[in-house]
Formats: sequence, C-alpha cells, structure tokens
Amino acid sequence: MDANTAYLTQNTPENVHTVEHPLSGGKTLEEILSNIEMTIIEEKEEHLIIDLVGIEAPIANALRRIMLSEVPTMAIEDINLWQNTSVIPDEVLAHRIGLIPIDADPRLFKFKHPNEEHSSENCICFKLHAVCRRLEDGSIVGDKVMSGDLQWQPFPNQQERFGHFKPVHDDIIIAKLGPGQEIEAELFCEKGIGATHTKWSPVCTASYRLAPKITLKKEIAGENAINLKNKCPMGVFDVKKGKAVVKNPRNCTSCRECIREDDSMVSLAKVKDHFIFTIETTGALSPRDIFREAIKELRDKAAFWLDKINIYKRTPKS
Amino acid sequence: MEDEEISQEDAWVVISEYFKENGLVSQQLSSFNHFILHTIQEIIEDSAEITIIPERQYRPGERQQQELRYVISFKQATLGARPVLKEQDGSSNLIFPHEARLRNLTYASNLLVDVQKQSIVNYEGRGEHVEGEEEQKGVFIGRIPIMVRSNYCALSNKTEKERITYKECVFDQGGYFIINGKEKVLVAQEKMANNFVYVFHRSQPSKYSWVAEIRSQNESSNKVPSQFSIRLTHKVKSSHEQVIRANLPYIKSDVPVVILFRAMGFVADKDIISHICYDAADVRMMELLKPSLEEAFVIPSQEVALDFIGRRGNSVGASQEQRIIYAKDLLQKEMLPHVSVSAEYETKKAFFVGYMVHRLCNAALGRNKEDDRDHYGKKRLDLAGSLLANLFRQLFRRFTKTAQEVMKKQVDSQHDINLVAAVKEHIITSGLRYALATGNWMQDKTGAVSKTGVSQVLSRLTFSSSLSHLRRLNTPLQKQGKLTKPRQLHNTHWGMICPAETPEGQACGLVKNLTLMAHISVSCNSSQLQRMLEELNTENLVELSVKNIHDRTKVFFNGSWIGIHGDAEYLVKTLVNCRRGGMLPKQVSIVRDIPNKEIRIYSDSGRIQRPVFIAENNKIKMSRYYIEQMKLPRERPDHLSFDKCTELGLIEFLDTEEEETSLIAMTMKELNEGGNKYHYTHCEIHPSMILGVCASIIPFPDHNQSPRNTYQSAMGKQAMGIYTSNYQLRMDTLAHVLYYAQKPLVMTRAMEFMYFKELPSGCNAVVAIACYTGYNQEDSVIMNQSSIDRGFFRSIFYRTYENQAKTIGGADEEFHIPAKETTVGTRDGCYDKLDVDGLIIPGQRVSGDDVIIGKTAALNAFGATNRQTRKDVSICLRHSESGIIDSVLLTVDDLGHKFAKIKMRSIRIPQIGDKFASRHGQKGTIGQTFRQEDLPFSKQGISPDIIVNPHAIPSRMTIGHLIECLASKVACLRGEEGDGTPFQSVTVEDISRDLHALGYQLRGNEVMYNGHTGNRLASQIFFGPTYYQRLKHMVDDKIHSRARGQVQSLTRQPTEGRSRDGGLRFGEMERDCMISHGAARFLKERLFEASDAYRVHVCENCGLFAIANLDRNMFQCKQCKNKNTRISQIFIPYACKLLFQELMAMHIAPRLHTSIS
Repeated sequence: MDANTAYLTQNTPENVHTVEHPLSGGKTLEEILSNIEMTIIEEKEEHLIIDLVGIEAPIANALRRIMLSEVPTMAIEDINLWQNTSVIPDEVLAHRIGLIPIDADPRLFKFKHPNEEHSSENCICFKLHAVCRRLEDGSIVGDKVMSGDLQWQPFPNQQERFGHFKPVHDDIIIAKLGPGQEIEAELFCEKGIGATHTKWSPVCTASYRLAPKITLKKEIAGENAINLKNKCPMGVFDVKKGKAVVKNPRNCTSCRECIREDDSMVSLAKVKDHFIFTIETTGALSPRDIFREAIKELRDKAAFWLDKINIYKRTPKS
Repeated sequence: MEDEEISQEDAWVVISEYFKENGLVSQQLSSFNHFILHTIQEIIEDSAEITIIPERQYRPGERQQQELRYVISFKQATLGARPVLKEQDGSSNLIFPHEARLRNLTYASNLLVDVQKQSIVNYEGRGEHVEGEEEQKGVFIGRIPIMVRSNYCALSNKTEKERITYKECVFDQGGYFIINGKEKVLVAQEKMANNFVYVFHRSQPSKYSWVAEIRSQNESSNKVPSQFSIRLTHKVKSSHEQVIRANLPYIKSDVPVVILFRAMGFVADKDIISHICYDAADVRMMELLKPSLEEAFVIPSQEVALDFIGRRGNSVGASQEQRIIYAKDLLQKEMLPHVSVSAEYETKKAFFVGYMVHRLCNAALGRNKEDDRDHYGKKRLDLAGSLLANLFRQLFRRFTKTAQEVMKKQVDSQHDINLVAAVKEHIITSGLRYALATGNWMQDKTGAVSKTGVSQVLSRLTFSSSLSHLRRLNTPLQKQGKLTKPRQLHNTHWGMICPAETPEGQACGLVKNLTLMAHISVSCNSSQLQRMLEELNTENLVELSVKNIHDRTKVFFNGSWIGIHGDAEYLVKTLVNCRRGGMLPKQVSIVRDIPNKEIRIYSDSGRIQRPVFIAENNKIKMSRYYIEQMKLPRERPDHLSFDKCTELGLIEFLDTEEEETSLIAMTMKELNEGGNKYHYTHCEIHPSMILGVCASIIPFPDHNQSPRNTYQSAMGKQAMGIYTSNYQLRMDTLAHVLYYAQKPLVMTRAMEFMYFKELPSGCNAVVAIACYTGYNQEDSVIMNQSSIDRGFFRSIFYRTYENQAKTIGGADEEFHIPAKETTVGTRDGCYDKLDVDGLIIPGQRVSGDDVIIGKTAALNAFGATNRQTRKDVSICLRHSESGIIDSVLLTVDDLGHKFAKIKMRSIRIPQIGDKFASRHGQKGTIGQTFRQEDLPFSKQGISPDIIVNPHAIPSRMTIGHLIECLASKVACLRGEEGDGTPFQSVTVEDISRDLHALGYQLRGNEVMYNGHTGNRLASQIFFGPTYYQRLKHMVDDKIHSRARGQVQSLTRQPTEGRSRDGGLRFGEMERDCMISHGAARFLKERLFEASDAYRVHVCENCGLFAIANLDRNMFQCKQCKNKNTRISQIFIPYACKLLFQELMAMHIAPRLHTSIS
C-alpha cells in the first residue's frame, strides 16, 4: 500500500491520514519545496482551478481558510437611512445592502479604526435614492431598486486616485417599491475580513479535493467493460477496442458504484498530496489575486510566529 | 372518452376543485350561515308570545271593566345587511374586519325583528275580540357577531383584489369572529348523538346486567335531552328471574316495562309480547320476558298502571285522578319526546319501547354485542352555528322575560306599552359578546358555567396553525379521567379525523383535528324526506300489522322508528339514487343494516362526512371526460364543479355510519386488480386525504414512526414563517416573521391547498448528518455562522403594546408627557423618546424600561398634594426586550375612549440556544455556530448550514427525514419540486437512481474534508438539503439571572418570574445538598441572616408578640400586663412572622417560648 494514497474500499476508506510533519515523512524542507508543483487547470473571470502537488493537508487547508476568512475586501458597513417608506423594514434593508459585493480593490484602502472618521483613505461612499412613481398613463416606474442604482459619492480626490467604484453586479434586487414609496440612503464601505462577517469574504467558496487515482486491477473486456462504463454516470470509464479504460479519472465523485458489487476490477484511490483547488470569487478580486493574497497572508503569519518563536528562544529561561 | 378510466393523477384535479369550491373552513362558514338563515328565525318564532294581563284596578265608583290583555309576538327577523358600528357620537358606520381588529371593536350586525302587539278584550259572555293590532317593523333587539367571510360578512362576494383594498390577507379564509378586536374561533364540541339506542353491559356491583339507554330530544323543541333506559336485572343465584324495568324521567324508582306498556294502553300479555318479540317462534326471548310479565301480573289495567307510575312521581298528596293525569302527561311529553309529543303517542311509543326491549334482549341472549361507546358514527359535533343557536336561545328567552316585566310595569302604572323602552338590546348583545370573549358558554340559573374554552383566540403563529385551529375538535369533560378508550384512535376515525395531529399530555386524543376533506353536515329539511318515504310504500307504524315486522325491514329516521318496508333493497336503492341525482340533499345518509333488518336515515346536523368516488361494477363512475370538463376554467359554462359531481352521481359524501356499509377501494389500482372478488361500492379519492392540516405538511409521513408525525404536527404550529400576507398592517400582540421564508424543495400535494407555497414557514437548509466536534450532542445542532451572516433563518419579532385612556366612570386619564412637577410616581425609565402627544415616535430605537406611552390619571382628593395633582400611569417597554418602534396607532374605541397601540419590532438572528426542527419531529437547539472555514466541505466546496447528530436517527426511526433529504437533493439538482405525498408509489430506489444519474453517490453520501485540519473525513457523510423550521422558542426570550432585586411586599420574599426580574428558587433539593455537604451554617447565613431575618419581641409569659418601642426602650405585653420585664428579642424569618400573624387572625395562637442556652 502506498503511504501517499488513500484507498476507497467497498465499506470504508483506508489510509486517509496525512503525514502531519515534514520530518516524520523523512523529507527535508528542501525536498518538499523542490517537489511542490502548481498548475493552473482552468482560469475564468469568476473561478480558478489549480492543481497543487507536493504539499500536505495542513498547508492546503491553511490556504483555504485564509481565502475564506482572512483576505480583506470592501463591503458596506454603515448606512445613513434618510428615508424608507418601502415594505422592507430598515434592518432587513440594511442587511441586504451589506451583502452587495463591491468592485473595489481593498489593497488601496486602510482598515478603519472604530473611532476613526470616514475618509478617502478608508472608505467608499455610495448614495442610493430610489423613488417609485405611477405615471399618467398608469405605468409604474422605479418599482425595483437594483444594486446598479448605487451611486458612488467620491471623497475629495478619491476619483483622481482610484478611478471608478461600483457594485460588482448591477442586477441584484435590493427592494421592490410600490407607487409613492421611496428609499434614500448613504452607504459607507469599509475594509474588513470574512472572519468578522461573511460579507467581507472575497470568495463564494474556496475548496479543494484530493485528486482521484483510478486504476483497473485487471483487464476488463467485452460485456464487463460496457457494464463498467454504464455504471458510472460521470463518464470516468470508457471502452476502447473492446477493453475498458480509465478515461476521465478527475470526474469521479467517489460514489463507489463501480466497486459496490464487485471490487476486484477497479481500484479507487486518492493521491494525498495532490490538491485540486477551486476558488470562486464574489467579484471584488480576481481569483488569482485572492490566491496570491492568501499566500501572502500565510507568509505573514509564518513570519509573525517565527518572530514570536525567536523572541521566546532569545529570552533567558528563569 | 366518455368512460375512459382515470388515473390517480386525475384525482388531484378533483381534489383541487373541491378546495377551490369549499376552502378549508367551509364547515365553520356553512354552520354559521345556516344559523343566521334558518335557526335565528326558528328560535324567534318558537318562543312563546308575551302575554300581559294588567293588574285589576279597583277604583271606587267605577264599574268593572272588560278583561283586557295584550299579546306581544315576534315575527320576521332580519339581519342588517352588513356589520355596523355605532360610534360614541351617535353616528353609525359600516365596518370591515380590519378596522374591527385595529380598533378593538366587535364585528357584528344588527338583528331587527318585527314585533306585533295585539290587545285582546274579553267581553263577559261574548268571547274574545282582537281590538287593536299594530306591528312595529324592524325593532332592534341586539347585535349578532358575524363570522368573517360568511355570507353576512362585508367581505362576502368580494374579489381577491377588493379584499386587498380592504387590507385583508389574500389567503385568509375567515371562519372566526372578531370580538373586541380579538379573533375568536369557536372550537367544535364533540358530543354523544341524541336519539340513539345504546345497549351496554354492566358488571356486578350494579343492580342490572344490561341497559338499553337513549337520550331523546325532539327535533323542533330545544329542551334538555331526556334520559330513558330499559334495564335487565342480574341473574341472582337463588332465582333465575331476570326482570326488565324502565327508568322514566322524573319517576324515582324503576317501573317494570310491562306496566309501562299497560300504562300506554297495551294491556294484554300477547299485545305486549308482539311489540317486543317480532318473531313468534323465538322461544328464548319469550322465556326471557316471562318473569317480567309475571312481575306485572298484579297490575291488570291501564288506570292502575298509570296510577302506579304517577304514585312514584312528584305527586305528593295528589288524588288518584290527578296522579293518572300526571302520569299520562309524563308519558306524552317527557318520555321519548323524539318519537312524538302529540296526543296520539301510544302506538308509536309502545313500538319504540318494544324495540328497545328487543335490542336489550338480543344483547342479553348473546345475539348482538354491546354497543361501542367510541364509535364515531354515534358522535355529533356542535359547530359555531349550533353553539351560537343554543346561546342565542337562552339569551332570547331572558330577553323576552325582561321585556315582559318592563311592559307589565308600564301597563300597571297606567301607561301605554312602549316597545322601544321594553326592548333591552344589551341582553343579547353583551350576552353573545361575553360568551365569545371569554369562552364561557351557557350559564345556568346559578351562574355556573357549563363549558369553558369553547371560544379561543385564533392562533396566528403560522398560517397552517391558524388553519388547523379552525378545524379543531374538542371533547369536553373527562380531562383528568384515566380512561384511555375515548382517547384512542378508533377505526371509524378513518378519513374524518387526522391520525397524527393531537396534542401530547392531558388532552391527548381528546382534542382532535378534522382531515382536509372532512365536512360537517348541517341539518336539512326533514319533511320532504319523510313524505318521500311514505310515497315509497313505507308502512306507517300506526297502520302496520305486528306480524309483518319480523319479515320486513324497520325504517328509522333520525333515530325514530317510523315504519316498516317490505323491499329494503328497493327502498335503499331508490333513496341512494335520489341522493345521487340531486333530488335529496347530499348530506342525507342512508344506512342499511342487513343483519338487524334495519334502514337508518339521518339528516341531522353535526355528522362528519367526506367525499368518495362512486363505483359501480368495480368501475369508477368519474371518467376522463368529466376530468377534462373539470380542468376547464371556472368561468366557462361547461366547467364541471365539484358540487355538480355530487348531482351527477360521480361523487358522494359518506358519513361514518354509511361508510361502514360501503366497500371502499383504497386506490383505483386496487379496484381494477380485484377482479370480481369484491364488489366495491366506492373508491377513495386519495388516501393522503386522511391527514389533517398539520400532518399534511410532512413529506413521506408514511415512512415515519407514528409518534414522530404527532410531534411534528404539534411543532409545525410553533414554526415561524409568514403568517398572513397583511402582517404589516395588523397589530398582533406577538408575531414572528421570517426574513427569507422558502417553499420546501419537497412538497406534498396537499400543501398546495393550504397555500404553503405562498405563505411558507421555513428554509431549505443544507444538512449534514454527522458527528463533528461534538457540539451537536443530545439534540443540539451545529449551525453555519456564515450562512447566518447571509440571512439564514433571520426573523423579525413584533410585539404590540396597547393602552386605553379611560374617561368614563370617574376615571380621568390622559395621554401626554407627564410633567415631573405635577405628577407623582414617575417611572425610572426614559421619557425623552415620547412625542408631544405622549406616544413614542415611530422609528425610535427603544430598550428595556423606556416609556412608550405617557399617561397620567387624576389623583383623587386624598392623594393630591397642593403641587402634585396627577399620578403617572405610563406604559414601559418590557425590561428584557429592545427594538425599534414600527408603528403607532391612536384611535377611539366604541365607548369613545382614546386608545393607542404601539408595535415594536426587533430582529432575531439565530444564535446558540435557539430552537430548530425538521418536518419529522426532530427538534434541536443550536449548540455551536462555526464559520464556513471550520465546517466540513464537499468536493464541490459546499459546506452544511446545519449539522445534525446521527444519534437522532436510529431510535426515532424517522426514515421520512432521510428520504426527504434524498428527494430534496434530486429536486435541487434538477431544479424542480420534489413530491413527498404519502401513499404514492415512489420508492427510495427510484430516488436513488435519479440521484446517481446526476452524478452523486446513490444514497446521498458524500466525501467530505475536515474544515479544521483539512484532512479527508474517514467516512462519507449523508449530505443534502432538508426543509427546516425555526421555532418560536429563543434564548433571548428566556435568558434570566438575578443576584439581588425586588421582594414581594407581603412576604418579603423575592418576586417570581423573568418578567418581574424574579429570583431563582433555592429549593428543598438544593437545601438538601447544602446539608449533606455539612454546610448548615452557610445555609443559615444565606437563607436567613442575609435574607429575611426579622426582629420581633416575645412576651415570655404568653409567648405572643409583644409591643416594642426601641426608641424609648419600652417593651410591654398588654394582655399579660407585663412591662419591660420578661420580654425576649428574637430573630425569625419574616415569612414566619407573617404566618404567626395570619394564624392569629384565624384564632390560633402560636406561642414562642424562649430560653437562654
């Protein structure tokens, strides 16, 4: 059995644990570092799939956790609600507005201290004024308040420095109004992290999975091969020249249907140091930037602790 | 097409048509409509006319006048077209329900009656003459509360759009009353049916072995049902004599039946026997009757028999003739009034008594079994209509009595009769209002209430809880009784009463709920039916020959025996065909009891009925053709309505009794597959219709252990969602509204009719059933904090405070900001948030103890000092709550009092300790919240919203929960609605196959990774969406602690309860702990010295409390004349001192004897 592979059997997964410490694996840091491999599998505007090979779960997980909750973004935190005659109570409206993703690079801003004023350094201000009216011909205008209705109110010299800010999407419905109803508000974005409130999380989700390793234990041909192919709805197997082959191992969902009745044909396994990362952004940062920021954050953390350890080492023991 | 068979799917077209036509509260509405349309008029007409005979005036010198009397009678009654309100300023306004709710008004209409006054003069010797006759039209006699959305409601015939403009909920179906602004439901009351003969066995300590009982009540009169029973004595070992006796109303001792027969004029033994034993060859029954005949041998004639009965009645000291007349009267009017109360009663009653004896003998001979007390066919339900009728009858009687007294006084004081002054309309108005407001129904002469809790405040927690409340039944009495039988589910409940929905605990099985399609009959005109029976050659009892009874079939109508018929088959068939053709009302039930040779026909009110498909030759009469017609839009003239189906003989309503004589196929498949093995008469429309409102919300209930469905039925009522569509306009004292209520991924078909999609009460949560960190043990759950941040299960809580500025009856209250200088007793809270009118400003953020209504009352002369003239009676917010003022209403009630309602809103975000439940009786509180990065995630990066502990599953066997999850997963991936309707052919295998085809593990398990460590979890996790409900129990409403605080002024012990910032009881078990720890001194210090120690002085002579003046150092005991000597100072708990004083107040002297140790 390969230590680096977790096996799926009919009843239970085997050998799932990771080697927790580089030293216990008998590898040196250099070996590990030189073995790390990273490939971008797919990169789109909204998501990124990367293969990370050669690291272990704690590192991969640290990256994932940082992406979820510690990479900062800008989100609406304070609202001055001047008028709200809609059916939505103020608190609900405020909560909805808070969740709108803002297309602004958080790296341009500073964190705002609780007793600090809103300024061009730490804040983006939007204005929202929506009125619904019934026109003379009976038609109703302005019955939907959309995120596109947010208007940027730049602080002095913000425009020159940063260009333009707006919500990521223009078509998020904030509220619906009836004729005569009105919402007027001033919204202030602040820089924050997902651990405080999820609205600051830069990702919808960031996760990884282990790369599947599927092998045929023996040669499968004829009807058995066709059966095997049909068993998998994800198209992992195919039949070529009358013989079964593993065509798309990455599609495997570990449903174990192929080994449920007979486990003598296929071996299902996972490579324990091969992580397939998927990062889906909310739109404020590109997924690539999120990943990069996460690595930076991890490095800072490491540096921080290294510092601490060094201080501890240097302090004389009493 | 005409006779193409229909599928189970088509049945839903029929069901949907039924609900479109009837809604879910039709029983309430039809009962109330019947009350207004018929019963009120009947009661008014039945009431005796008022006769007023002026007291004779003897005046010297005047000749004796002719005898004059006045007769007042009540004629046509009319109800005002719409509910009105008479304002305090005298103007009358039409009102709508919403205004009544907001202004605390009673939603009622005026009842007007035409009153006729006749003056009749009796000239001596020349007979009576009607001198003057005048009729006063439309005299106002009282206000009748109107059921919302009945035919007499302002909303009747209003379209959905119009109802919205009247600020009503779009989905509200009415069925309740509005009394003083509160919505009141009249809960149906279950009772034993009248006019039924029951035969029961009694065991030894009783004198009798078998009893045949009846509670007889005449249809038209409304007296208390009169009890009548026939009893058979026990076999005594010494003699084999078993005699049969009758128990008559008002007669103190039992009368031998034979004497009863003789008293009715059937003297000869042979005559008597022929009325009892229809089969002349039945030797065993004759034998049984023999001792009874012998016993009555001494009473040879009718007179003697009547005298025998009369002697045992309330006729002390009466002559023989009087006794005979008394007995005759009793037999005519009091005994078995449902058979007849007319003068020619003998034959009919003799036959009926004979029938009862016959039943008794059959049971005693072991031919028939004892009757089943819990059989639902023998139960009747009193709905709003009949409950109101009973109350109205009582009030109207009181009303006429008062009117009579007033008019008598008017006449006697030489005035003309003034009707308007005599009519005291408040008797009926306030009588009805009182009963509906308190639920205390019907008071007897002493003022004791006979029934309580009849009228209840409509539950408005969730829409389904309101619906369920409107379909509730209550069984009065025996609440504490340990008898289990009436609480158990009976076979005859099938299809009528929900098997799952009943409370747990004391009222278990006594409070029931109607199934979705159950309907309750209202009484219909019986004379037409009786005429029909006669036309169909039913031999009348008076004319029939006794010999024929044995061979022919007895015909009963509403419990009374009206005749016999030679061809039962023909009679039943014709009647049933008449009903199916619409010639007879569909509520009539026709029961053929073949073994007992009886046909029983019922047309009375309060029977539960349900619709079923009619089958003939094992084929459903409903066909594709009709279904297609039904699918047409309702406006089309060729649209087939549900009501029409009953007239076309496609569907009929069966009641419990008739159901028992029918063979009903469960499904259409069963009907077809059965071949000719069975001859089905009917087919169920759909078996899932055996469930009630709350149980219909459960998906796959047929896969759950039954108590779990019961638990969910109770919990569904505490779930929050959107309880009506007009909640923003209403001012309910308490309300919860979910931010983002979702319709469930897996629905049941029945939910559609309860508008669950439109007014849902929960969210589709992604649920993992897993052990993770251990924070979900013992029915707690782990919740995703990131989901909560995004709005998962957030809710709004509304509370309305209400107050009145009383200005009537000496009170002088006023809303304004109390001025500190002139007001005494100002509150500690903050007055700054009040507006100039004394009411808080909408949009204000308020927290505990803030004043929200500023109000003062005038101080009376004693309390007023020269500066301070008013007392502060302001209303503060509850001190444990905080929120934002949502809306403020200032208005005037019907008495002209100014009054205010203030609605506060606060946001409730799920937190540790809040309660949640799935739809399968699986409830739990949040044990921990984790952010997304700490939760396990699947290969797609999905992390659960809720993690439930797997230990919740095996012992509770809620398989439905798992199937719901699986089906939801499929539904979610496909983007469709899942179907969780019970008793359908979907299997777990089917769902699994679909799921696997979508690329998932076929049982819904998924590979997951630990969020903390990043490792792959050792086992796969059952993972998928499940519909969860947030229940109203939240920690923020319960959290409470106190270190020190207020005490009660009487006992000086801490106050009780969270709302009063009360203490937490250190009870005897806690005390025991301290003692067993050996910490007795600690105990004394905490519970006595640091608590309520009180110094008293005790006289050493008498041991009673002495007078102590510590300032002057004077001590004395007046009784002992003991001054300054022999007085001890002791410390006792204040409660102890209080006890001693209370004992002394009741002449018990507790003495304290002191000694110095």
